[in-house]
Amino acid sequence: MKRVALAALAAVTACTEDVTAPGHCPDFCPSGSISGVDTVLQTVVQRDSAFRGFVRPHEANTLLAATLPGVIDSRAIFRTLPIGDSLVVESSTGAMGAIVGVDSLKLALTITRRDTSAHNLTLVYYRLPLGIDSTTTFGGLGSWTDSLRSLNADSVYALAGHVDALRDSVFVDSTTHQMTVIAKLDSAMAPFVPADSGQVAFGVRVMADSRASIALGSVESGLGPRITWFAKVDSLGKATVPRSASTGDRFDSFVFDLLSPSVDTTLDSTLAVGGMPVARSIMRFALPRAIRDSVQISRATLILVTARPPEGVPADSFTLAAHGVVADFGAKSPLSADVSRVATTRVHIGVARGDTVRIEMTDILRSWQIDTLAPTALALRQLPEGSEFPEIRFEPSTNTGLGPALHVTYVRRFPFGKP
Amino acid sequence: MTRPVVAAVLAAVLLTAAPPDRLTAQDSQFSVRGLGVPGRWESVRARTAAGAFGPFDPRSSVADVSLADALQLTATAVEATTYRRAEIGGTQDDLRSSRFPFMGLAGPVTRRVVVGGGFATYLDRTYSIVTRDSQMLRGAYASYTDRIGNDGAVADLRFAAAARLASWIAIGAGAHILSGSSRQTAQRVYDDTTFLGTTQTAVVRYDGFGISGSVALDPVRSVRIVGYARSDNRLRTRLGDAETDRTDLPTTLGAALRWSPSPSARVAGTAVWRSWSDAGGFNTTSWSAGAEVGAGPTPLRFGVRGGQLPFGPGTAAPTELGVTLGAGKGFSGNRALVDFGLERLVRKGGGLTETAWTVLVGLTIRP
Repeated sequence: MKRVALAALAAVTACTEDVTAPGHCPDFCPSGSISGVDTVLQTVVQRDSAFRGFVRPHEANTLLAATLPGVIDSRAIFRTLPIGDSLVVESSTGAMGAIVGVDSLKLALTITRRDTSAHNLTLVYYRLPLGIDSTTTFGGLGSWTDSLRSLNADSVYALAGHVDALRDSVFVDSTTHQMTVIAKLDSAMAPFVPADSGQVAFGVRVMADSRASIALGSVESGLGPRITWFAKVDSLGKATVPRSASTGDRFDSFVFDLLSPSVDTTLDSTLAVGGMPVARSIMRFALPRAIRDSVQISRATLILVTARPPEGVPADSFTLAAHGVVADFGAKSPLSADVSRVATTRVHIGVARGDTVRIEMTDILRSWQIDTLAPTALALRQLPEGSEFPEIRFEPSTNTGLGPALHVTYVRRFPFGKP
Repeated sequence: MTRPVVAAVLAAVLLTAAPPDRLTAQDSQFSVRGLGVPGRWESVRARTAAGAFGPFDPRSSVADVSLADALQLTATAVEATTYRRAEIGGTQDDLRSSRFPFMGLAGPVTRRVVVGGGFATYLDRTYSIVTRDSQMLRGAYASYTDRIGNDGAVADLRFAAAARLASWIAIGAGAHILSGSSRQTAQRVYDDTTFLGTTQTAVVRYDGFGISGSVALDPVRSVRIVGYARSDNRLRTRLGDAETDRTDLPTTLGAALRWSPSPSARVAGTAVWRSWSDAGGFNTTSWSAGAEVGAGPTPLRFGVRGGQLPFGPGTAAPTELGVTLGAGKGFSGNRALVDFGLERLVRKGGGLTETAWTVLVGLTIRP
């Protein structure tokens, strides 16, 4: 009995805590209250400017090919690595034999982005001179009339096994949705030139019933074009034997012709983002001291008004990022590696002039509150840069009423220490 | 060092090392407005007789003169676990908390002079209030939940001395350092998660000072009368280095009568007035009556108390009524005493009715 009584006493006197109760205001609520504010800061961006040239075509992760009448005509170009003038004919001894000819060549391209509503997606292949480089232009490559052949990827993919009679094949990765197109070129289309050690250069054009705009993987992304030579090799004077050799590309890029009269790559006072060469805009925020120092931000939204909408097909929609910078050096401002200082939104083809584009940047503003030494500047950029042709331009801060604004919802400092 | 001295030092260290913000006496919804709810400066022995024996109890810190009866080193601590129910507007909430509201140490320095000290709760300021509301944000009403909390108290650190001048008179005096802190929290969470929640916290510190004096008269052998007074200057509230508030504190006047008709029976009554209007509240008058029956190590105690609380809505002070029951048990030749009891309180004011059961456990060591 005594033990039971002691246990009961221990139970009712054990440390316990629950002091939370609904408030019955104002009689039984604290005198201070949490005060929320919702406001639009129209003049918070006080200096902004646009710069171009951040990613050039030969530096891009993708090779853009598009045939959009009246808008743009763009073609991928690349030059392969040499394979030498001989191949191993006897693997046990490593004996080499000279390449005396080729039977055929297979060219594999990876389409990383395409508009799945584009029908009869067709790749047209061109042989190009080996001298192509980063200075090569669309017009500098002539008229592009002598194509080697074309391959209708949709037709091949529709076949059983996705392989046609010419041994062309098309595969679609079910996870990444990337399409790999392997085209077979015979020795007439792709002769082996011993003096070039097997280097070849190709151009690729895309055609479709409509919306012909694709992105091909480049060597920078690890998905660049690959070729496989099927060669005839001298077997130490006895006969020729077939041998194959695969290689990637040494150089890839794309050339384009801007057809739209509305597309002007010349920068003006508007805030340009994207395009080719890639443009970025730097925005500098002058946050009110109270907001930077004394409040807690619940939500912050950057509001941008479109000055010039992007042109392209729906698949050309891109990600717009507001990226915090480590230091404000204008065009050369290094971007922050901190993911909390990156805010993104999707810009869809179809946005019209005067439409607003909103970017939720609560985390960025909170990071500015934490790190008061961080520059309150953002770089507006496309993600990833150089992977889309469309360029969007926003009204600058000099355009009163339409310039960038910040819609911020915050809670004021609670009046602690008051009875 | 001798064993009693070692024990005394250990007791002193243990008693004074406790964090002040756990010293809160008893949480109450009436602590939400104003400075808080006044604590009780009573041991379990005094509190289980409704506080009637507080001015006579050397283990309590109600009247410094009571130290004169601490003829040996004595250390006391109190643990209180309260189960509350707050009812207002047809709704009721059950709340609970455990506190260590009182610790004391006393012992003679000469044959006539006794010194003592310890911690007690001066004001309790622990609560957590949750409210629901909405605000027009970006063209639509956004509902949110606010939680405003305060966890802490103002502690009374007492240094006191008492002297028996003659067999019929004793006097006592004390100095009180008021110190404490509370961790305050203001949190807002929106139902719409696109709005991030906010949480603000701050540690608010309090300080003040007070003095007290008391006298005990024994006109006849079985009767003792105690009169006591205390004056506290102000409570200063600081947030960091900035003073955010300064409030005058009340003057306390009290009187008590104890009658011991036999060695195994004692009855007592007290009345206390405090000028809480100095602090923006209501002046309060409190009373208590209690009895202790049984001599030796296992007495039975009971009592009733009533009075007012200093802070509440409206034009009238909230009222408080309580009954208590308790007992004690001595061990090791009464060198260790365990007192325990039960207190039932009813507080009313401003439409709020708060009832509470408090389980009290006290430990006294006389090394």
